[in-house]
Amino acid sequence: MSSATRTSAYLKNILQNGVGRYVCQLQRVTFQFCKSRGDSKGIRDFIETHLVDFAKQNAGVAVYVQPRRHRRPYVIAEYLNGAKVDFCVHEQNADEVSRWLEHLRTRCGVQIQRLRKQHHTDHPSIQGQWTPFVNLPTELNTTQFPSENLSRAIQRQPTATQKILDMAAKQQAASGDQGSENKPV
Amino acid sequence: MAACRKALTLCRLSSRIESARFFHRWQRPTFQQLYKLRKMAGPEAEKPRSAQTNWNRDGELYAFGERLGELLGARTLDRAFTHESYVAREEEERRRLGIAREEEEGGKLDVDHNGALIERGTAIVSTYTKAYLRHQLPNLPEEGICAIHDYLTSDNMLEYIGSNLGMKDLILSEDFPVRTHTVGQTFRAVVGALANDQGEERAQLFVQDFVLTQLVNQDVSEMWTLVNPMGVLTMILQQRGMVLPEPRILRSTGSSTVVACYVVGIYSNKQLIGQAPGETEITAEEMAARDALAGIFGIRNAAATLKLGTAGRHLTIDPAARNPSLDSLCGRPLGGDSATVSMAAT
Repeated sequence: MSSATRTSAYLKNILQNGVGRYVCQLQRVTFQFCKSRGDSKGIRDFIETHLVDFAKQNAGVAVYVQPRRHRRPYVIAEYLNGAKVDFCVHEQNADEVSRWLEHLRTRCGVQIQRLRKQHHTDHPSIQGQWTPFVNLPTELNTTQFPSENLSRAIQRQPTATQKILDMAAKQQAASGDQGSENKPV
Repeated sequence: MAACRKALTLCRLSSRIESARFFHRWQRPTFQQLYKLRKMAGPEAEKPRSAQTNWNRDGELYAFGERLGELLGARTLDRAFTHESYVAREEEERRRLGIAREEEEGGKLDVDHNGALIERGTAIVSTYTKAYLRHQLPNLPEEGICAIHDYLTSDNMLEYIGSNLGMKDLILSEDFPVRTHTVGQTFRAVVGALANDQGEERAQLFVQDFVLTQLVNQDVSEMWTLVNPMGVLTMILQQRGMVLPEPRILRSTGSSTVVACYVVGIYSNKQLIGQAPGETEITAEEMAARDALAGIFGIRNAAATLKLGTAGRHLTIDPAARNPSLDSLCGRPLGGDSATVSMAAT
């Protein structure tokens, strides 16, 4: 899919999170699995081995476990901003489930979109935004236009005529010096 | 209608059918019919989160406290989220059904509501916000402090903060969907509960971390605007014994076009104290006067200089301190509210 058709967004921070204190944005996580189907094996292993540790380390996340007969296993994450992510962990092992859960835990719940920029700053320029007035001499405020001085063409290099005149002057000076040397005393 | 609901349940189930290589002949007419019924029945009514099966109120309350990093008792939290209107409704319901126990007089329930917590929380939110702002912006007149305070502690702002902290799902109240005012009150009740359980200082830090941080990226000078900035500037400079302000055009361009731009600077004793652009000389002068006042009040870059987070942990804030009022800065009464407009009022 081309970037023109994908929705885009700027980086944003919900509720200035982290300026004061950090609040984990994952509010609630529900594990849905089947007790008998093979594709739920990984999530069942995860629940047996890792889930209690996860719940202890993240006491701010409410954890629910829902067995559902003969259905695909899902991890459903609900975020503080009201977003809900249904994540299918079909045929994944306990380690994979654990890693996807970590991904869901560290997200902020904002929809994943193409980011216009990978960075954000409140101060895009230290010097301030450029305007046509930046570094403009103040005397222009009182100058009467048209001004003869300012209307003249600006010459940064000597013209061809000027160069030839300079060369001629140099030559003349040199021949003058020679002449003085050859002069009989 | 019952048949309609049953059909809709069928529709939800059929969407879960896993992949097949063909469509049954009955599917198209059935789904068409179901679609018609769905349109007739209209959208499903919004339900509270607690109506779903994966909901444990005690667990959610515990997670709420842990999420904020605060040690709050289960009973206090429960109380903070229970509104008076909910208790009243429950009592009414019990009376109506005739299931009020005998020891309950007139169907009164033995449930605490958050009335007292709201009262305490409101006082803390209001007092601390003002005290913090006075401490951080000592040159801003009292009217400006009040305008920023009104912006931060309005129901809209507290609802925004509270709902992003997951308060909406936990509220026990008569109204659903929960009203803005109810969420605002719940936020205040939580602050009150914190003060009760953990002491006032923790409650103040909570306000600093969640309410005052909302000033980041905001332009403080837009929350409080003066009606006649040049007049006020003149009076303030006069009161301070400084030379009266003198506006000068610093730059101008395109004066005979529709995109004219003038940059006006305000000088006092040949010192540039403020400058601003504008599309006419008068607008530019007014904006320059506002800029000069922002410089005098110390709010040009206020949001960036606020001490928040770790820098705001050990501030010695005097709650009794007051900033000078605008009248005292000007040396004469300006006629009350007519002189200033705050964002909350407009």
